Amino acid sequence: MSGERLTDTEIGERLRLARESAKLTQAEAAALVGVVRTTLVAIEQGKRRVHIDELQKLASAYRTSANALLRREAVHLDMVPRFRKLHESSDDAVERATRLLNDLVRAEVELENALGVNRTRNYPPERPILPGDIRAQAEQDAQELRDWLGLGPGPVTDIVSILDLQLGVRVYVRPLDGKVSGLFAYDDTAGACILLNANHPPERQTQSGAHETAHFISTRREPEVLTEDERFTSREERYANAFQRAFITPARTVRQQFAEITAGQSHLTRRHIILLAHASGVSREAMVRRLEELKLAREGTWDWFVANGGISDDQARQVLGDLPDRKVNAARALGLVPPRLALLAREAWKKEIYSEGQLARLLQLNRHEIREILDGAEKEESEANELVKLPQ
Amino acid sequence: MSSSNFLSNLRASLIADASVVINLNATARAAEIIKAVQIPFIATENACTELEAGVRNGHGDYARLLELIDAGHIRRARLGATGMPVYESLIDGSTARTLDDGEAATIAYAQETGGVALIDERKARSLCAKSFPGLVVACTAELLMHDAVAAVLGTQGQADALANALSGARMRVPAEHLAKVRIMIGPERAALCGSLPRAMREPV
Repeated sequence: MSGERLTDTEIGERLRLARESAKLTQAEAAALVGVVRTTLVAIEQGKRRVHIDELQKLASAYRTSANALLRREAVHLDMVPRFRKLHESSDDAVERATRLLNDLVRAEVELENALGVNRTRNYPPERPILPGDIRAQAEQDAQELRDWLGLGPGPVTDIVSILDLQLGVRVYVRPLDGKVSGLFAYDDTAGACILLNANHPPERQTQSGAHETAHFISTRREPEVLTEDERFTSREERYANAFQRAFITPARTVRQQFAEITAGQSHLTRRHIILLAHASGVSREAMVRRLEELKLAREGTWDWFVANGGISDDQARQVLGDLPDRKVNAARALGLVPPRLALLAREAWKKEIYSEGQLARLLQLNRHEIREILDGAEKEESEANELVKLPQ
Repeated sequence: MSSSNFLSNLRASLIADASVVINLNATARAAEIIKAVQIPFIATENACTELEAGVRNGHGDYARLLELIDAGHIRRARLGATGMPVYESLIDGSTARTLDDGEAATIAYAQETGGVALIDERKARSLCAKSFPGLVVACTAELLMHDAVAAVLGTQGQADALANALSGARMRVPAEHLAKVRIMIGPERAALCGSLPRAMREPV
């Protein structure tokens, strides 16, 4: 088994990542194990092999297991997501979302490796932000991506499928704190990863997805933490905001629809906005802001509507009738872990590559929860008919 | 690995994995079942730690384990010098050849003390069969179906305990015990247990 064991340096590096993920200092971790800090430093640098009793204590303090730290195939990532948040959002919420994305990706990559599954990447070329007009660049890059994807002028109805199936980006839709819209992270091993908030309405998820796509297009390898309330919004963030609007509501499409809908009329009305917003699958506010940006409405139009009673859901219903709820990402948001991850876990368990305990640890679930995911997996194959056998 | 007649050696102790403790808790009669078999019942430090971690997710298994320990039904044990290398060999290496800490410690302690490893996990059982052919391995279902348990709980009580473990804890049952489990709880209740294979849940 000697060839399967990790070197002291590899173990040390994994211990460092686990400690940092647990937000413990070297001094705190050393105190928990009962060694001096310099010993812990030596262990993390691979200069001293960790003793098994020390490893158990560290694993417990880092909320993981000795096996999760030692098993050869375990994937250890330290992704610094680029995220958007409003100023009220607590750091805890962002921290939780960051950790969730890291954990989901780590587990998925490890299970893919174990099962020999390769995820195909079909990334568009990077478009670094150049000097000059940010908005013009974003408009052009967004249109280029639309063309590259073959989207045509229509609305973006399912951003998650576009990212997942067409580009090969890892996208997760999970319930997050309301203030966290989305996260983007890039890692050479895992590739591009996006986490979207399942608690947000579909229109908002589409906007967040497009926003994170902008970071993927422009600066995928540069980790940066930004907040929307910063007095000085960075060029990258302004680019992403402009890209998001241009990708979801392309200028030409909006102009064309605007011309058709308002033809022969003298004033912009609530009815126009409701119809235009519906045609592009965006919120009424997002549409008016876009009209302002494209000089199709005067600046301050949205604020005027807000000051004059806004545009209510009831008014939208009067114009559009009772439309069914758009729940395009509902299935992705269900379950204890994302559906694809659950399927990989079931397969890995069925093949006896992972034990129940290992999977529980990997997916950060307790035994009750992992059993819920694995229920019925064991006999599926033998009970299945040849007819439903997957092609190899 | 051998699993036949695992309670015949009355000097042996039963080393329970975390999953077994969860199953016993779900029966709602854990203390009576443990007392019925009249064999020392042990949980390793690692298995206890795993259950303690589950508290964060709102499950009460650790609290119930502590009650069983306080009442003297279960003893908490730490691996000794001979068990430690076994444990290490089971956690260090490739994923396919290793187990999580609690599962590994359960096997290592049973190997060290000549006890019976009480473990339901199929990969762990396969590993034991390959690497520790002399080790006696049994599962929760075998324990619950034992005559000694029926003697204390009665036939109905025994069937209820089995059904509760299946529905409340999604207890895994190794293939060789499935038919007997189904007979004991009856096809109607078996049909409601999602952790049983589909064939076991359908009418004959």
